[in-house]
Amino acid sequence: MLSLFPSNDYLLIAVILGMPLLGAFVNGVWGKQLGKDAVRVMALTAVGLSFAASVAAFVALSQLADQQKGEHVKLVWNAWEWMNTNGGAGGVTVPIDVKFSIDALSGVMMLIVTGVGFLIHLYATSYMADDEGFARFFAYLNLFIFSMLVLLLGDNLPILFVGWEGVGLCSYLLIGFWYEHAPNAAAGKKAFIANRVGDFGLICGMFLLVHYTGALDWNGIANGASSLLHTGEQARVHVWPLGGGQYTGVLSFLQPKSPVTISAATAVGLALLLGCTGKSAQIPLYVWLPDAMAGPTPVSALIHAATMVTAGIYLICRLSFVFVLSPFVMVLIACVGAATALFAATIALVQNDIKKVLAYSTVSQLGFMFLGVGVGAFTAGFFHVFTHAFFKACLFLGAGSVIHAMHARIHDGDPSQDLRNMGGLRRWMPLTHWTFAGATAAIIGLPLTSGFFSKDEILYRAFVNRTVNPAAAALQGRVYAPPAWIGTALYATAVAAAVLTAFYMCRLYFLTFWGEFRGWTVGRPSLLSKHEVAAHDDHGHGEHHEDLSTPGHPPHESPWQMTVPLIILATFSVFAGWLNPGFGLSRQPMEHWLEPVFKEATEGAVVYAGGHDAAWAEHMTLPLALGGIGAFLVGTLLAWWMYVSQSGAPAKRAAEAQPALHRLLLDKWRIDELYDATVIAAVDSLAETAAAFDRAIVDGILARLTALVVAASGTVLRAFQSGVVHVYAAMMVVGLAATGWFFAVPHANATVVDSGNNDYLVTAAPGVGYAYRWDADSDGKPEKSDFGADSTLKLHLEPGRSQTVHLEVKNSFGLIRSKSIHVARPEEPTSSL
Amino acid sequence: MATVETSHAPDRDEPLHLRPGQLAVLALVALAATVAARFFDHAVPVVAAAAVAALVPRRHGWNVRGPIAITAGLLALFVAQMWPAAEATAASAPPAESAHLLSWIIALPLAGAIAILFLPRQAHATLRWTTMLVMLGTFAASLPLLRVTMGRGYHFNEDVLWLPRFGIHYHVAIDGISYWLVLLTVFITPIAAWASFGPIQKRLKDWCFALLLLEGGMLGAFLALDLFVFYIFWELMLIPMYVMIGVWGGANRIRSAIKFFLYTMFGSVLMLAAILYVAYQYSRASGGTWTFDYFELQRLLAPRHVQIWLWGAFTLAFVIKVPMFPVHTWLPDAHTEAPTAGSVILAAVMLKMGTYGYLRFSMGLFPEAAQEFAANLAGVAVLGGIIYGALCAWKQEDVKRLIAYSSVAHLGYVMLGLFAMTTASLEGSVLQMVNHGISTGMLFLLFGVIYDRRHTRHIDEFGGLAKPMPVYATLFVVATLASVGLPATNGFIGEFMVITGTFASNYLGHFAGVQAVGAAIGVILGAVYMLMVVQKMFFGPVTKKENAHLADVNGRELVALAPLAMMVFVIGLFPNIFLGPIRGAAERVQGDYESRIEANPPPKFYEGPFKLLPRRPEAPHAPSGQTAVAENH
Repeated sequence: MLSLFPSNDYLLIAVILGMPLLGAFVNGVWGKQLGKDAVRVMALTAVGLSFAASVAAFVALSQLADQQKGEHVKLVWNAWEWMNTNGGAGGVTVPIDVKFSIDALSGVMMLIVTGVGFLIHLYATSYMADDEGFARFFAYLNLFIFSMLVLLLGDNLPILFVGWEGVGLCSYLLIGFWYEHAPNAAAGKKAFIANRVGDFGLICGMFLLVHYTGALDWNGIANGASSLLHTGEQARVHVWPLGGGQYTGVLSFLQPKSPVTISAATAVGLALLLGCTGKSAQIPLYVWLPDAMAGPTPVSALIHAATMVTAGIYLICRLSFVFVLSPFVMVLIACVGAATALFAATIALVQNDIKKVLAYSTVSQLGFMFLGVGVGAFTAGFFHVFTHAFFKACLFLGAGSVIHAMHARIHDGDPSQDLRNMGGLRRWMPLTHWTFAGATAAIIGLPLTSGFFSKDEILYRAFVNRTVNPAAAALQGRVYAPPAWIGTALYATAVAAAVLTAFYMCRLYFLTFWGEFRGWTVGRPSLLSKHEVAAHDDHGHGEHHEDLSTPGHPPHESPWQMTVPLIILATFSVFAGWLNPGFGLSRQPMEHWLEPVFKEATEGAVVYAGGHDAAWAEHMTLPLALGGIGAFLVGTLLAWWMYVSQSGAPAKRAAEAQPALHRLLLDKWRIDELYDATVIAAVDSLAETAAAFDRAIVDGILARLTALVVAASGTVLRAFQSGVVHVYAAMMVVGLAATGWFFAVPHANATVVDSGNNDYLVTAAPGVGYAYRWDADSDGKPEKSDFGADSTLKLHLEPGRSQTVHLEVKNSFGLIRSKSIHVARPEEPTSSL
Repeated sequence: MATVETSHAPDRDEPLHLRPGQLAVLALVALAATVAARFFDHAVPVVAAAAVAALVPRRHGWNVRGPIAITAGLLALFVAQMWPAAEATAASAPPAESAHLLSWIIALPLAGAIAILFLPRQAHATLRWTTMLVMLGTFAASLPLLRVTMGRGYHFNEDVLWLPRFGIHYHVAIDGISYWLVLLTVFITPIAAWASFGPIQKRLKDWCFALLLLEGGMLGAFLALDLFVFYIFWELMLIPMYVMIGVWGGANRIRSAIKFFLYTMFGSVLMLAAILYVAYQYSRASGGTWTFDYFELQRLLAPRHVQIWLWGAFTLAFVIKVPMFPVHTWLPDAHTEAPTAGSVILAAVMLKMGTYGYLRFSMGLFPEAAQEFAANLAGVAVLGGIIYGALCAWKQEDVKRLIAYSSVAHLGYVMLGLFAMTTASLEGSVLQMVNHGISTGMLFLLFGVIYDRRHTRHIDEFGGLAKPMPVYATLFVVATLASVGLPATNGFIGEFMVITGTFASNYLGHFAGVQAVGAAIGVILGAVYMLMVVQKMFFGPVTKKENAHLADVNGRELVALAPLAMMVFVIGLFPNIFLGPIRGAAERVQGDYESRIEANPPPKFYEGPFKLLPRRPEAPHAPSGQTAVAENH
């Protein structure tokens, strides 16, 4: 295998990437002509072949890794030279190639994307079978797989950014897939713009990296990363005053006593973190993800749960060696993660839309992953990405299966997803029920399932790990040190979030599958007419509302295309945890597999809390695991008591006891409204002001006022051009008189010329019949009493002296005008040097 | 979700099958390509691209498929030929440069314009075909430019003494700065003309005349290196555009045309005065030799207090044309009233005249003065262009006004890159000029499609258009993504280069970082206003019944749009082909600028009499006996 595709020119990547792109192109352009069967074959073949090629590549990679033990091995394909930039500090050229590579990290993600992607494609062939936009849907979905693979396999930040924006675009298109329904299109736009805010961070991160490390590819950034931590001023980013200037004058109150600077590593980390919070739906940019559930359910499963939203965690893992350089950013990541995990879980407690609960659950779980990578446990965070992909995809697909069943008689989108219309479905949908139960067990952390192992490892690491600046010694105290209590706080928050997770997931599970069915009256199949059966299978989206009180068919189990993916995903959800079981067991395949990726980053940067050693950490394993298990028990039992043993009465009582809080949670803490009222309103009014300013002031002054002035002067001048001869004659008389007066009066003017040798020549302006009389010393007595023709006067002036000359001019009419001319000679320079 | 539209689509596409005649055509194309493979090494990608492109249009005949296939094939050939590796092997024997090529490129449209005058007014078909043939001929004539490795210097230099008394030469040459702008002009003018041949029925002869005159004027202005000749071309292109807006425009066309004319004229008159003054000072400094030659005038070092005024006069003319805040308000008015083809040419090419002029003349002739204001003007470009333009665009209710304001924002990037004056930002700027021409040109063309059907520009008049016009919606989204700067489209490359270059700039004082961040904010705002348009026009339910049965893009429109849509991705995926020829010239310009600033450092720069600096090595050597100095001694 390796001989066919050498590891430095691994062309198989072209197949992995090319197949989904081909599928997208064919389905997108000729989809309608090809018909649904051909579209289905094309889409499945594209992703299937891509998955097969991914498996082959993964096997080749593991062989290579076995050959070179402990090395960070890569399979690289350099497609072509994309562009060059030279923004580096030394003016070096930074090549940016269209280059892809598979390493241990991207290899695992690649398998998840193509593998889970294939299952979801298969699921969607049935789920979307009756949709008019079948071909368009698969074109978008294939394009998404392609973009996601570009994101994962890109060997430099700009190529990753291509995929990053590509998945954002596909997400935009798929959220708004049913674009005729206006809120869907709005949700798509919201997602795109929230992601764009993140992209702004990513772009800033890119130019900072170009400038400070002189590279944008992973190896280059790793090599140049140390320059992000220089002690010198060139590696400090001036935050305030802006860019390191000085505020003077009226602005001097803005000048701080000492400029606020951060290290380049922190600046890069913050910028990239903004990008990651956008894509991975973390505080403050999480708001788009719940709305994104407007898209078809397979999309929610694939894009908004299993793959795309984990891109932020992937990027942090990928650039772990940059992030660890700034402990401040690391702690911030952990805090953002913990806060999001808890915050989103509180919202999920009371939501009634099955997909909304899962959406907030996704946000919350992504928070756990952030927490994991934020405390430097990159493997633990990434392992949660891995397990989450299975159980959350399974949960969404299961929810889709339920919605599919509900659609038999409830055709509106919202009621068909409402938990209050479900219940008791385990009777009729056994496969969906058992797979859903398996995935729920995983997410709530039932011991020995995959979610238990991955979440527990994160909780454990949050407590025992601490990140420190790896160059602390060289930086001599100018480093940020996280407070000592941070580990306990993070652990406690995460445990609280885990309790809530167990509670809301069990609530969801019990309300959907247990109890009595609340959707419609279920009649005996033998009593139902043939017509009913036909209408039932049609899933028509008619405008008519069925009378749900008349007896109808019970909800049905989904076809095999939908249940097979559920079974596979549920199996992985339950058992995948053994790939990295933690608890100090000797077999940790995932840890071992990823070790070369994170080894360099974590060395010296991630230590045990409070100066303890590994033995202490090992000792803490079991006590800390109790927190996770306890959370699971508390949440699950509480949900059991509330929704099964008491049939939801305590929940109702609690809501009635605290109506305001319940309302607030139901309204998602009204964060959307807060953003609307602050940030969005501010930008909106700024834009309104700008547009009004442009209309009234800029255009008003430059164009209209100028035009007005010109027109007004025209009006004034036009008054003189009246066409009345008398007026013209009068004007002529006035003009002639003025001209005559000008000539009748002499004009005393003179120019002074330096003629060298400290001499000046003062020359009076000539005129018809002029005679001149000079008074060189200005004593009031002219040298000659008579006016003469001598129009020049020579003056001798020593340096530093000045003299005033008085000139009188007389013309032929005998009128006299006079003028005083002051002549000053400047001081000679004392030294000619 | 398992929902289905009960009504089966009546316009369901027939399955894809080729008639025998079509197969024969395809076979012939393949045969021709195989024959062509003897001359070109890249037959396979060319044929593949052409074949795929031929199959893409649905429900269209070969009159549509043919041109699209040819365009795709030519673009594939272009990429293959311009591939850096291919260039390296071909560089062994540089092709001979014809001294008259550029004159042909300028003269062909002008001659065509004169020829149009002799055609009968009623012969619409003849007029159209003559115009198209002349424009395509100009395009073909410019293709030899692609065979030249640009490097740092000037090529196809032609220098003929014209008016000896004042040392005025007819001097044209091309370098990496003007290279793609010339090619953009000859590429986009035929597209605009082709698109206009449906809606423009009135005074067709005058229209064709104006189009050809305009093309000649624009090409001349990009190529002229004698300031006098440049000024002639600069004014020459103003008049046809004025006429186009004034005759074929919308309801308020006269007012907009006059506004356009006065704004532009105001700046250019000052520039004329400055040109004359510079030439006069040159003659004094050189002892009585008059010249308007760019390279000679570049040697003139003016004292600071004079240079600032000269620079200001030139710059005012250029920033009005760009346009930059606060002299931009003519643009929305001109765009809204101009006919579609006029808007396309105005946005795609004429605005570039301002940015090109600033780079070539303001920065080339007066680097010290340009440097003195660079940081402040970069602030204007970011705040007044990128951010203010985007905010204004967001609040427009007229789609063409919105696109016009988006131009203000996009050209803010271009100007920022110029002020930053690093090679990366210069390359990005020049590429962004081309990108803006393609993506905004495409947006205007696309809007023209819907305007021809609905005759309204108001954004609320549309809604849900994706349903009746899916192909149109797809193309509009492509143009939007290019405009927003999504990576792998052309817009990203330019913006990325400008932003990274700006951050590293030494010429913006301590604001380089802030300005780079400000430019990056434009990325968010761009998405805000463009997606707003897409959402309001295409998504949601069809609100107006006039929109429910609109016809999708027809063949003529598709042929006009396809090359632009392809270029979006060609530039986005293979930007090195485009950046390569710019690079040498960008390095040269940057080096010249840097050396002048280093020799006359701020804040005083240079105070002293006008003097002549030594000649620069890159100045093209004119044929012997034809330089200004030699003639006049």
